[in-house]
Amino acid sequence: MNSNKKGMTLVAKQKAAGWAFLTPATLMIVVMSFYPMVRAFLISLQTGAGANMRYAEPIFSNYQRMMADKVFIKSIGNTFLYLLIQVPIMLILAILLAQLLNNKDLKFKGLFRTCVFLPCATSLVSYALIFRSLFAQEGLINSILVKLHILESGYNFLGNAASAKVVIIIALVWRWTGYNMVFYLSGLQNIEYSVYEAAKIDGANGWKTFWGITVPLLKPTIIMTFIMSINGTLQLFDESVNLTKGGPANATITMSHYVYNTCFINVPNFGYASAMAFLIFIMVAILAFINLKVGDTRD
Amino acid sequence: MKRKLLSVLLAGAMVLSLAACGNSGTSDGGSDGGSSEGGGSEGGNKLTVWAWDQTFNIKAMNMAAEQYKKDHSDFDLEVIETSSDDCQTKLTTCANSGDYSTMPDIVLMQDNSYQKFLKSYPDAFTDLTDCGVNWDDFAALKQSYSMADDKHYGIPYDNGVCAAFYRTDVLDEAGYKIEDLTDITWSKFTEIAVDVHKKTGKYLLTSESTGGDVIMLMIQSCGANFVNENGEAYIVGNDVAEKCIDLYTEMIKQDAVKLVNNWDEYVATVTNGEAAGVINGNWMNATITGIEDQKGNWQITTLPKVDGVDTATNYANNGGSSWYITSNCKNPDLAKDFLVNTFGSSTDFYDAILPETSGIACYLPAGESEVYNEPVEFYGGQPIYSTLVEYSSHIPEFTKTPYHYEAREAVNTAIVNITNGTAKEDALKEAQETLEFKMSE
Repeated sequence: MNSNKKGMTLVAKQKAAGWAFLTPATLMIVVMSFYPMVRAFLISLQTGAGANMRYAEPIFSNYQRMMADKVFIKSIGNTFLYLLIQVPIMLILAILLAQLLNNKDLKFKGLFRTCVFLPCATSLVSYALIFRSLFAQEGLINSILVKLHILESGYNFLGNAASAKVVIIIALVWRWTGYNMVFYLSGLQNIEYSVYEAAKIDGANGWKTFWGITVPLLKPTIIMTFIMSINGTLQLFDESVNLTKGGPANATITMSHYVYNTCFINVPNFGYASAMAFLIFIMVAILAFINLKVGDTRD
Repeated sequence: MKRKLLSVLLAGAMVLSLAACGNSGTSDGGSDGGSSEGGGSEGGNKLTVWAWDQTFNIKAMNMAAEQYKKDHSDFDLEVIETSSDDCQTKLTTCANSGDYSTMPDIVLMQDNSYQKFLKSYPDAFTDLTDCGVNWDDFAALKQSYSMADDKHYGIPYDNGVCAAFYRTDVLDEAGYKIEDLTDITWSKFTEIAVDVHKKTGKYLLTSESTGGDVIMLMIQSCGANFVNENGEAYIVGNDVAEKCIDLYTEMIKQDAVKLVNNWDEYVATVTNGEAAGVINGNWMNATITGIEDQKGNWQITTLPKVDGVDTATNYANNGGSSWYITSNCKNPDLAKDFLVNTFGSSTDFYDAILPETSGIACYLPAGESEVYNEPVEFYGGQPIYSTLVEYSSHIPEFTKTPYHYEAREAVNTAIVNITNGTAKEDALKEAQETLEFKMSE
């Protein structure tokens, strides 16, 4: 054994060192991520209230059950509505802000960047609670609207299905735009200024430069933010729980919120909850895969 | 150089403070483990308790410990403050993993959720039937929350008896007396509430639109529920349920009830004076008496009752809690003895905690004592404590269900849909189907 080791070539030694550094992290990921995933899948094949779990008969009955669950289908609808409306608005805003703040001649850049990023430093629960009180019937927004004589009396934003969804979307945009902007900003700073100069000399205007240079060169960043946003939105939880409690009449409930309710508010059914969580995982995986394929520039 | 030093210092401070967090966490865990390990061997006179509300439940528990210590000098008790929601989440997590060792010895639990835990984790709690409590000293309904198959699992504590709290000054302004609202029906109440709202701009009733309790206490005041005796979903074809839902949606349509979106807004209507009436569990007392400038303006009376139902009463229960001993308790005899000699049988104890916590006992003999019969200044001299204990003896029993929260959600969803224009039959059918679905596996 010893003599073998001594005989390792330099390349082999480097490889061994590489593996040695990788192993702890890999082991931790396996134990903390992959093992729970496998367990979750096994639990998703079981059924029963609380501790009385047994394997379901037929084995995939939890997955069939989802198709008949009106509340869960409604929660899928809600989540995808947030996804379709909120993610594009947020990413476009983020890219515009990044473009503005990347301006070489702008003063107090650091201050503005900090301001835009600051919402991300607030905790999810506390910002959701603040939005809840802002949009309450006697909240700040209503008081302003009444004072300006736009409304006669406070509007029940959170008590109305459509407006409650809008409030959640506004809250999400507020919370996450700055976060994505930071990625775009770093992406923009990696673009050589000479490329822009060349474009200027060729007579391209701002709009053309944006579409012809900025967007293509930012593509990897855009894809990454898209995947992260899709992932985050599909797992949306805090806003639904704290802002609206999923109400009124489940009009704003998200998938993860419903999974939580199934475990901790209702009679606990961890098997069914795991099955739903697994479906969310599959959805995220599929959407991320499509995203990667669409964005793949290699021919 | 200076910058570097500063950043090192800052980083060091952060790491230290984080480490401190970690430490306090482990010390908590340590004392937890200590109590459970100590149970068998060295003396084992320490009990841990999960409970919420410093001014009420926790205070009462600590007072109980002090009283018990007088006769048992080596007794020790530690209360770990755990919010009501956290109690449920933590218990679910401990019990579902099958590892009971992280549970406390004694836990406080909402009456409405206990049946759910008993169904899900039948081994997680200790049978208290023969622990020495005279169960007849507690109202039958209150006992039934913590019972299964004629066995007792909980020592009833926080009374959930409901009352109607009204602002007499507002009623005066609208030309009503508290007597006009005593022992009335919900339709009469609606009439008065609409009138009061017109004259004063204030509401006599507030309710949460998602997860509101008013509909639950309406049906339970009739001795009924949204499940039948076999525990099956019973919304469609349930006359009592339909009458309650009719009355309630009618109140919403006539603007006799103020709908709010969450508990903060609910409490705000009381504190900002928008609500001239509160119909809920007596624990709202703490919120109401907190508003100093409304002193002397509040009085309590019975709830309205549901029209046209033979079994209807003016009494209901909502949201009390009881003490449970978990299976993790290594010294169940001590825990039982402690609970029996304080919460289970001591009028002195209840007399002592009343002025401190204004918590109403479920222990019926306590209601006869002098302390309970003293007039309460805040309520214009009304002796509300003995009145509430008296109310609690009239509450009808009804079939409990582990699916309490599911039923409440299904029915509240139906009500929102009906007020938004869905036909009643369709909304109720959907509620029935949703509840049936959730009860299946």
